[in-house]
Parts: sequence; structure tokens; C-alpha cells
Amino acid sequence: MDLHSYPRGENGRLEQILNQFFLKSLHMILDSRVPANRPSSRYGEVKKSDKWFNLVLGDRPSAMDNLSFWNRSFMEPMVIDIILVQESLKSSLEHSSITTLGSEMVTDTVIERWVVQHEHRRSVGHSISEASYKKTYKKSILLLRSIYSMLRLLPAYKAFRKRGSSQNCVFDINYKVCTYAVPFSREEDELMKRHNFIPIVTQQGALSVSSTYRKDLSDFIQDAFVSFPSEIITDYVGSPLTEPIRPFPTYSSEKGVRATSFPITGSQPTSSSALLRRHSWTSGIHGDASQKNQPYSGSPPLYRSPYEHSSSPTDVYGHRFQNQRSPACQKAAIDDLLSPPFSPSPSPSPPTYLYSGNPLHSRMRSETPPMSIPHPMMGRSPRYLSPNLSDPNRHSLPPLSPRSTKNDPSSQESSSGIRSIRKSDSLRTGEPSPGLTNLGPRVSRDSKEDSGRFSGPLSSSSSPRVGFSRSSSRLSFQDDFGDGDFTYPFIVDDVDPPDFQSSQNLDGKNKSEDSSQASSTAKRSQDAAVGVLVHMLRTAPPLRPTSSYTSQSSENEVEREVGTASEFFKPRDTTDALEELKAYKEMRDQLVSKSAARTSIREKD
Amino acid sequence: MNCEVCQLKELEVEHFEIREVLRCILHTILFHRALGLVRPKDVDLELFEITYVQCGDMELERKIDEKIDQFIDRVEKHPNKKNQICLSFYEVKNKHATWFTNKVERLFWEHWYINLNVMQHPKTPSGKSHHSKLVVDPGVEARGARRAALEASLRDVLFQIIKFVNEKKDHVPSIPNVEGIPFPYEITISRCT
Repeated sequence: MDLHSYPRGENGRLEQILNQFFLKSLHMILDSRVPANRPSSRYGEVKKSDKWFNLVLGDRPSAMDNLSFWNRSFMEPMVIDIILVQESLKSSLEHSSITTLGSEMVTDTVIERWVVQHEHRRSVGHSISEASYKKTYKKSILLLRSIYSMLRLLPAYKAFRKRGSSQNCVFDINYKVCTYAVPFSREEDELMKRHNFIPIVTQQGALSVSSTYRKDLSDFIQDAFVSFPSEIITDYVGSPLTEPIRPFPTYSSEKGVRATSFPITGSQPTSSSALLRRHSWTSGIHGDASQKNQPYSGSPPLYRSPYEHSSSPTDVYGHRFQNQRSPACQKAAIDDLLSPPFSPSPSPSPPTYLYSGNPLHSRMRSETPPMSIPHPMMGRSPRYLSPNLSDPNRHSLPPLSPRSTKNDPSSQESSSGIRSIRKSDSLRTGEPSPGLTNLGPRVSRDSKEDSGRFSGPLSSSSSPRVGFSRSSSRLSFQDDFGDGDFTYPFIVDDVDPPDFQSSQNLDGKNKSEDSSQASSTAKRSQDAAVGVLVHMLRTAPPLRPTSSYTSQSSENEVEREVGTASEFFKPRDTTDALEELKAYKEMRDQLVSKSAARTSIREKD
Repeated sequence: MNCEVCQLKELEVEHFEIREVLRCILHTILFHRALGLVRPKDVDLELFEITYVQCGDMELERKIDEKIDQFIDRVEKHPNKKNQICLSFYEVKNKHATWFTNKVERLFWEHWYINLNVMQHPKTPSGKSHHSKLVVDPGVEARGARRAALEASLRDVLFQIIKFVNEKKDHVPSIPNVEGIPFPYEITISRCT
């Protein structure tokens, strides 16, 4: 805006206010109606131009970049039409502008119209006082606040949000800015509702804003989803048909788009057309580059304003401006549209809530008195090799990720899962394999703890790569030694945090192994820590040493490497047991405090 | 200067809807009265398909939440009563202490009355049968219809606020050059008679 073009004095101030009012209102309307290609930043240092009317809106939308003709004068009204563009095989409304492009029909419907104008009235002699323009400015601030709120209450806002958040929206939103309002037909009028803001009387006239909007847009918005034929998605995450290692589909990849998109029309729903259709900026509304430099074909001639001829076509039609965007901007536009503008998308991992709750639950379990542990099942069982089919309880659980599915045999392990991996390593080096029976005692307990299985896939999902690598090693371990029946309630990460290890009194060998694993994994799950504790409680010797325990302890030679020291074999009295109980309680308190700290950190994030 | 009063349409809400409804209404009013420099923040309601605007002032949010907590406590202590929240804007006069009083005079120039009729529901599914004023669970469809009606009413209230702000502008004092809300305000909770 050229400040020097304004007349000096109070008249100049008034004109400046009016001009800025036009620009601000246009900014607000386009910001909340036209999906943005670049996010507006309202934070940080506020530009001087953005301070007008005490309403910081951030960067102007790209649609305004080429709307230069408004710098000329505010003497003419500014009419902003918000147009909903639908591509369908049927025409939903008779009075909508319909064009035909190939086999598709394009329906343009004006769903909202804003008219901002200053009816100039020749002032009779009086000069505008400072108080007068201050009053005008104050009222302009109030009016703009009202417009801002109103923009979010009108039905078109819902369409804007749907368009901005959905990749596969059948409709597009376009706009048109001109200096006169094309009257609506009678049918259109009946569907529209009008709201007139109270005009601001100035010494040179009256500044007024009005809005005419469609009362009901449910036909347009709901059709966006009704027209999509249903499609069976076979490669959903967790499907048994998926490969073990399958990256989550990303929006930028064609595969990911195809996996989540529906064919927009019946003809050839390719990803490239989906990409084009998502953005009317790329090559026009209809995705046809040949229409770049053509006038808006099919639209009634009344839509054209005088400015079309005098200025660049891109001044008037937003989509024409967008036609000239470079492919780099297109990709940026895709990325921008993908990010939700207002509310975060729901977390893709709903079990996160369960995850946070599980350590407490497991801790409660760890505090229960020791149960009688049946003798472990020997022999190879395919049960946990195909966990989806084995346990009927599993069907009630949410679908697990492929990694977690594969991890299930290991996901059923407690912290001893870590040791089972080490066991597998040690076993491959020729050490005896007492691990079978050692892992067995956990079978029955884990089979009863269905909820514990939740934490398995959940915590494995936090470090998926590690989880998968561990599962593969565990599978091989089970294959080799037929130990497929044990279940652990907690997934165990490869690495224990150093402080947890020290509290466990591990020997140096395991510490070195853990430290090497620590270097490969990012963090340790709470469940793993609790799993270690539970395992310790389970393998804790009874107060009275029994013969069966003695035989188990001899077979648990590898477990002893990671468990407590050889004091297991010493006959114990009540004092020892109480001391051990105290130690366990201290460990429990530490874990609870850590989990609380981690939970608070996650919440902050 | 006149003192303008706006009585907003009464809303029938359930207990768990109080917070959202009050936040929406109070923030909408305050956004229209926070005439200093603001960075508007759009907030989506969770229970309704409504987006309202906040000033982006954390201190203001905290104060409003405190008042809403007080309102909820009052509702719990006095169930089956219609409650009212009054948001008032004033100017401070007579800042100097006088011989007789140290109080400053408040000259109110606007009152907004938010009227809520909180329906009581049994908190536990079993419910106490002797509590005759408890609302019987109407069923899913009826609940959905009630929710839709409340959403429409809430939208009407927001339109009512916008209309009032538009129609009455002259009584608003001049705006000092500050950020956020330039006018002092108070929120009081009272019981409808």
C-alpha cells in the first residue's frame, strides 16, 4: 500500500483506516475460507502492517499477493465470493454453474458472499476531527472482531475445515474478488441467508459489511464421502498379509496415498490425479493445464468484472494465480495441507493411554503374593509362532502391528526377555540351555494376564526396529529350543538404563552387554523395567527352600547371570526375606517415580 | 456513559458440558472486548462442532478456568438451581483514597449474563432411586437430539453476542494502547431467583 497516495491530514487518516479495513477483512475472509498453501505465522515479531485494528493475523495468504488492484481505491465495493467447486457425474443443483470437462461435470456454487463497502458521502465543509477518526477506528476494531467470530460460525467454515484436512475431498473451494455483486437467482436466494453488520458511520460516509451465505451445506459436504465407493484395505497395519517389516505408509509416497485414498470418481483413480485434485492451485480446478490461460469457461459472463480485462487474470481468480505455481510449491502445498490447521490429528497409537497405565497395573501385579507356578511346558509349540491364531483372548485385543505381532512370543516375556536374547546368544556359543524350563514358569501367569499383553506391543511400538530385531532373535531361539509357551507380560527393550541396571545388581558381564545394547537403542520402556522387577519377584526364592526350586535353580544358571547373586541358594530366614522385600519396595518406588517423571515429560511434549 | 446489559439465552446443559459451554461463551465475549493487540486463537469444542476464538492470553485463560471451577463447585453444592455467571466491564474512578473509604469506585459500563440450567444426572449407573429429581437416562437417540439442540442454542448465543457487540458500540470506552484486554472486568457467580 502506498501511504504517500493518501491525502494529508485527517482525511488521509480516514482513508488509510478504510483502506486497511478492506485489506484486513479480505485477509480474514481468505484465511478462513481458502485452504492455505503456507501457514500463517502469528507468533514472533508482529509486522507493523499486521497491527492494524489490534488484530494480528500473520502473513497474508498467497491469494492476496496478486490482488493488487485494491491498492487503488476503496471507493468501490469489494465483493468476495466463496465458491464451492464440485466434480461429479451428476449435477446436484440446477442453479449452480455447471461446466462439462470431458466426462466429468463441474459444479460451481457460491456458498458465501461478503460485501465490504464504504458508501461515500460528500462531507459538508467539516474537517474530520481527531476524535472522529479515533471513534471510527475503535468501531472498526469492534466490527472486525465480529467478522472474525462470524467467519467461524457460518456453514462455509466447516467446508473449509473439511477441505483443509481431507486429502480426498471431492470438492474444492475457490474465491472470486470483484467490485460488484452478481445477483443471485430466486432459487439461490431462497437458500441463502443474509447478515448485515451495523455500518460504521464516518464523516465521509458509511462503512458497511454484509454476508450472504447458504444456510445448509450438508449436501455438498456429505456428498464428499458418499460418492466414494467402499474399498477393502488389505494392507492395513497389523494385517497378517503384511510383511513383518513394513514402514508405515507416508503421505508423500504413492503407496501410502493409495492405501488410504478412495477413488474420487469412477475413472482411473491414480495417485497423480489424486494429487492434482487435492490442490486446485496446481493446474486449475479441473486439473487441465490447457485451461490455464483460458477464461473461466462455462461461467456465466456476469461473473466477470471489469478488472478482468484491465489487470492480469490472476488478480481476479485465485485458481489462475495458483496455476502458475511451480512444482516445488505444489509439493510444499501438499505438505502444508497435510498438517492439520487447528486440532491435532488423533494419535495413531491409541494404546498409548494403556501404555501409560500399564506400569501401574503391572506394579500392582508385582505386589501380589507369589502364585504357584506350574511346571513349564516342554517342546516346541507353534502357538507363539503364529500368535494371531493361538490365543482366543487375542481376538479381543486391538489389532497388533506386524512388529508387535511378530513380537508376541517375545512380547509375552518379562524383563527376562532381555536375558532370553542373551541366553540365545550364549546358547549359540555352546552354553547349556536351561532357559527352557526357566522361561516356563511364566506361561500360566502370563496367559492369565491378558491386559499385560497390551504393554507388549505397545512398548515394542515405541522402538519398533529394536522390537523386530529382538523378536526375530527370539523366534530363532524358540525354534531352536522349542520354548514357545512362555509368555511375558511386558515387552523388554534391549537396553536397561544404567541406573536401573545398578539397582538390579547385575554383574559386569551383563552390564557390558547391556551397555552395548544401550548404545543401539534409544530408550527403555517402563514396562521393561517393571518386567524385570516382576521377573525377580517370580524367581525369588521361597522363604523355605524346596527341592523343586533347587532343581530349577540349577537349570537357571544363565538367569543367575542377570538375576541377583548366588545368595538365592543360601537357606534364608525371615530377616533375609524382609530385607529382600525392602529392597524390592525401594526398587518399586524408584520405578514409580521414574514413570511419573516420564509421563509428565510426555504430557509436556 | 450508559451501562449496557445483555441477557444471553438460557442454556440447558448437563454437568459435563458446563466447562465447554462456559469457556466458549466467556472467551467469545472477552475476545470482543479485548480490544488491545491480540493474536486470536481458534479453539474447537470437543463436544460440539463449534469453533470459537480466544484472545491468546494465558493469564485470561487461567482466570476463566478458575471461575468455571467455582461455578461447577457451586452447581454441585446447589443442584437443581438455575445459576448465572455475570461478566462485567467497568472503569475505575476515584483512584485516590478519601477520608472515609479506600475503595475505588467502579463504573460499570457493560454486564453480560450467562444463564445456565444444569440438569442433574446420576453419577453412577446404579443411581439412587430415592432421588426423585434425577433425570432418567433418555436413551441414545434422545441424548443425541438434546446435544444437537444444545449445539444450536449455543450457536444462537454466540450470534447473540456478535449482534450485541455490533449494535452497541458507543458505550465502549476509548481503547488504551495495551495488549490483550484493556478494560478491567470481573466475573461473578450468582443464583437465579
